[in-house]
Amino acid sequence: MTAFAALTRASFKANTRDTATIFFTFAFPLIFLTIFGLIFKGQRVEETGNGYIDFIAPGVLAWGQANAASFGVAFSLMQWRKDDLLRLIRHTPAPLSDVVLARLAIAVGVGVAQCVLFIGVATIPLFGMHVSARWPLVLPVMLLGIAAFLGLGLIIGAVSKTPEAVSAIGNCVVIPMAFLSGAFIPVELMPAWLQDVSYTMPLRYLLDGLVYALAGAGEARDYWIACGVLTGFAVVFTAIGLRLFKWSNEE
Amino acid sequence: MRGAALKTKAMQAATSRTAAETAIEVERLHKSYGAVQAVTDVSLTVPRGEFIGLLGPNGAGKTTLIEMIEGLRVPDSGTVTVLGRRPYPRDPALLPLIGVQTQKSAFFPHLTAVEHLETVAAFYGLDRGAAQRALAQVGLTDSAGVRVSKVSGGQRQRLAIATALVHQPEVIFLDEPTGALDPQARRDLWTMLRQLKAAGRTIVYTTHHLDEAEELCDRVAILHQGRILTLGTPHELIGRSGVGSRVLLPATAMSAEQARTLDGVDDATVGTDLLTLHTRHLARVLAALGDHGGLDGVQTRSATLEDAYLELIGAQS
Repeated sequence: MTAFAALTRASFKANTRDTATIFFTFAFPLIFLTIFGLIFKGQRVEETGNGYIDFIAPGVLAWGQANAASFGVAFSLMQWRKDDLLRLIRHTPAPLSDVVLARLAIAVGVGVAQCVLFIGVATIPLFGMHVSARWPLVLPVMLLGIAAFLGLGLIIGAVSKTPEAVSAIGNCVVIPMAFLSGAFIPVELMPAWLQDVSYTMPLRYLLDGLVYALAGAGEARDYWIACGVLTGFAVVFTAIGLRLFKWSNEE
Repeated sequence: MRGAALKTKAMQAATSRTAAETAIEVERLHKSYGAVQAVTDVSLTVPRGEFIGLLGPNGAGKTTLIEMIEGLRVPDSGTVTVLGRRPYPRDPALLPLIGVQTQKSAFFPHLTAVEHLETVAAFYGLDRGAAQRALAQVGLTDSAGVRVSKVSGGQRQRLAIATALVHQPEVIFLDEPTGALDPQARRDLWTMLRQLKAAGRTIVYTTHHLDEAEELCDRVAILHQGRILTLGTPHELIGRSGVGSRVLLPATAMSAEQARTLDGVDDATVGTDLLTLHTRHLARVLAALGDHGGLDGVQTRSATLEDAYLELIGAQS
């Protein structure tokens, strides 16, 4: 078994045995879906005739994916460093890239499961979401989005020494981003300059990509731009995260 | 010219032989945290196969020193080589040759003891057999399926030691490995450490159990305020300390005044039912006691490493 396989296996077992955490990871976006679904029930977007849910659901899903990926890796890194587990790994020949790739594998697994469950719930008649025929395009943009937010999580995990710090920093970054990117409220309702601001945020591109793939709205060109920009964010965030990475708080 | 070349060649051979026989070479190591000098000008050479103990009060710099040798901490100045290689930055060629147990045991959360060891074994490219072997080595086979969060204090410590040994390293660092162990588990660990030593492994360890260090170590270094105060075999350190032996006899045997006049006696003190004679010349005292009225009820206590340690540390403060 390689270090990557062993780390993925260890993290997978830890996740499946920690039922409370796994439950809330999946329940959190569903709670928001329910709230927004009930708020906008029966309302339609005039131009397209689609239900609001078709736009709200990708927003909540994008936020859920961003949240799970960034917090998942940030908490693990902080906790592993705090518990001297990273120090244990440091004393073995396991490459740092395997540590990061194992986190990516876990985050992708969680993301895919979250996506399937979420769409399954959103399409029940109560919420009435319609999924476009382009739905297979969810996968590429979702993988790139998860990679970008994993990079962000690497940064948060590197600078945080306590769970409180991860929560504080993570929430300060992800929640405002969710609002400003239009994940919870449509960007069209915002002033023009705030709409411009939304283009500086990775969540905006994940959302655009998911809307294109799930609601079938928007241009193909914008979808591929979103994928490209998310790749850029993933590379830059991961590079910064690795630069800040420490094996031990005492290093 | 030819002579010089030969001489160079001979020197190279000597150097490489030294490198092959030296496990750890520490030269003029300094480390401070802000205004606190944690380690000051420490030099130390540990030959291969040696069992060396780092002793000293809390805050003496033992852990900082051991962590600089392991490569976790970067010294302010000075050099460290382990098996001829620098431990910092992280060297994947050196890491399989060293095993590290830290004071704070670290395990993968939610895994069982054997799953944790299998994970660590995989980092070295080893199979599950390595995990089973390491568990057996520390006597934890029966607890293989217990979650790491559920193992008791002593078992945690043994699992941490198994983690350090899973890849059968050449050089082993143990930071207070017997701290949480009960007396029986401590003796079991002694047996295991002696086996590792017999197998030619180099062991660097810290402890507060001076009886244990005296029992196990080839050499011990006593650290105080970041410096090595003294380094030698336990026997040498006891000899150097000038701490003598004690002879105990029933208080009724003679008075303290009388005892002080005996040949070789430095001092005598009376307790409830025992008279204690302090001496650096045990044989002369015993001979004098024999002449005085026999050795019935006489007991002797020779100086221990702990006596030498307390004498040395006491003299510092």
